[in-house]
Amino acid sequence: MIHILSREFLDSFKSVRSILIILFITFVSYQSATFIDSNPGLIQEIVKIGGEEGTVYTAAIALIVLILGFLFVFATSHDLINKEIELKTIRLLVTKTSRMQIMVGKFLGTLLFWVATITISFAVIFIISGSWFLKDYFHSFVFLFYIVSFVVLVSTVFTKSKLTMFLGILFGIALPILGLASAVSSKWYLVPFKYLLPYRYLEGSIGLMFVPIIIGVIYLLISVFIMQRKDL
Amino acid sequence: MSIVEVNHLTKKYGTTEVLKDINLEIYQGEVFGFVGHNGAGKSTFIHTITGITNKSAGSFKIMGISDSQLNHAKKRIGVMPDVSNLYENMKGLNFLRYMGKLAGDKRSKPELKTLMKEVGLEDAAQKKIKSYSFGMKKKICIAQALLGNPDLIILDEPTSGIDPESTINIRDLVIKLKEEGKTVFLTSHNLDEIDKVSDRVGILSDGEIKKLGTPRQLKEGIAAGVTISVRTKPILQKNDIQKLSEKMNTDIIFMEAKKDYTLLQVPSEEDLPEVSKEIIQSDVHLYEMKVEERSLEDVFMNA
Ligand SMILES: Nc1ncnc2c1ncn2[C@@H]1O[C@H](COP(=O)(O)OP(=O)(O)O)[C@@H](O)[C@H]1O
Ligand SMILES: [Mg+2]
Repeated sequence: MIHILSREFLDSFKSVRSILIILFITFVSYQSATFIDSNPGLIQEIVKIGGEEGTVYTAAIALIVLILGFLFVFATSHDLINKEIELKTIRLLVTKTSRMQIMVGKFLGTLLFWVATITISFAVIFIISGSWFLKDYFHSFVFLFYIVSFVVLVSTVFTKSKLTMFLGILFGIALPILGLASAVSSKWYLVPFKYLLPYRYLEGSIGLMFVPIIIGVIYLLISVFIMQRKDL
Repeated sequence: MSIVEVNHLTKKYGTTEVLKDINLEIYQGEVFGFVGHNGAGKSTFIHTITGITNKSAGSFKIMGISDSQLNHAKKRIGVMPDVSNLYENMKGLNFLRYMGKLAGDKRSKPELKTLMKEVGLEDAAQKKIKSYSFGMKKKICIAQALLGNPDLIILDEPTSGIDPESTINIRDLVIKLKEEGKTVFLTSHNLDEIDKVSDRVGILSDGEIKKLGTPRQLKEGIAAGVTISVRTKPILQKNDIQKLSEKMNTDIIFMEAKKDYTLLQVPSEEDLPEVSKEIIQSDVHLYEMKVEERSLEDVFMNA
């Protein structure tokens, strides 16, 4: 499993798409943090109306993860599972290790890539602001955990990588809108999204933040269950 | 001792039964060959016993480990599946390193290069797999099946579509593996190929094992008797053979009169001395008499 994990992780850095995304996120974090840092009055203002200092610095990165997270992860990993099934290279893996290990390895490798990406951003912010905003960092982690496991599920359920590319764009745009809308609205048809998507759990107590992780784990279990039944 | 034990194994795709109630034992240390036409179910059989696909019914054991626990046996099985795509962007050596890690193989880079040489891949270690020819891909796929020093090696059509020299190479490799005490299971649609390396052969047709045995048994089993060619002057004709048959009170069948010899069939090898005696005592001159080998192709046609 560790070998599939590390290959997935290292391979992520080799694609142009991922490099662009890392550069983009790091650049935006840097720009917004330096802007805020050179305008200390702004922090005072926001803290006055009830915001936290950390939120100010990490606002940009949090927004990127919340709004663009699905799109970014789908862009790099929509074919995480189905590509190898299409190409039949999965047969080489499956004769050497269990399907469970392949799935978990791929999931963790991809998650690790994203955690590394946001860690770089938080490190940039740390250099500028002098503090590491642990709560926001944890938020981003929880969110990414959820997104990556959801991408694994989609990539397992839909066997065509062309289809998951399309679905990825669709989900990448629709889910943040539905998620944010359901967090503020109480229309009945938004209720499932309210509870299934991670947005509403990020407000409030630390305990609630574990709910998206649990949902993510359930997605993974469903993915493994489906994978076990596939003829590869 | 049997290393693979298959009981009533069935595989369906939708409603079509691709494997029908297969029963088979493969013994420790033997080279076992599966022969069959394209679409006979050879690959499906390999997929099913190696965890690539799920069985529909029946059961199997590999090295005493039942199919539900197959993951525990994987480290001891090396498989060359029928893949045409490998990790195309990887260099040959890196591909083997990755596969080696998964197989728990501790070989160093130089040792992996030696392995590449053994399967006939020289100077390919630093080339990307996408630049490999079809035959080279086959060879590296065989190499990855040997990683982790498995006891059972399963090769799906290792020699199809590659040049004669490489074919001989692979045959030698299989023989070497057998000498090291490994069990080798391979498939082919080329009967001559399988014939040369296998201790036992199974003939698969339409998802069923039609025949099973040593190459020799299969060849003998098919013919109703022994085919012999007799070179005489003058050549024996149909009525000569009928007379001979009546005289000996044995079923001797005239098959064909060629330019300088006659093909006939006798019930068994035991009849040969008598046949030669009768011919010599008749008024023709006997120059040569030999038993015709029946190729496995004949066996196959009748399966
Ligand atoms: N994934 C699959 N779905 C449906 N049918 C399949 C699948 N794989 C193989 N088959 C069918 O099973 C039969 C046996 O195929 P295969 O095992 O590849 O034969 P062989 O390896 O002997 O050439 C063929 O008729 C093939 O079309
Ligand atoms: Mg085949």
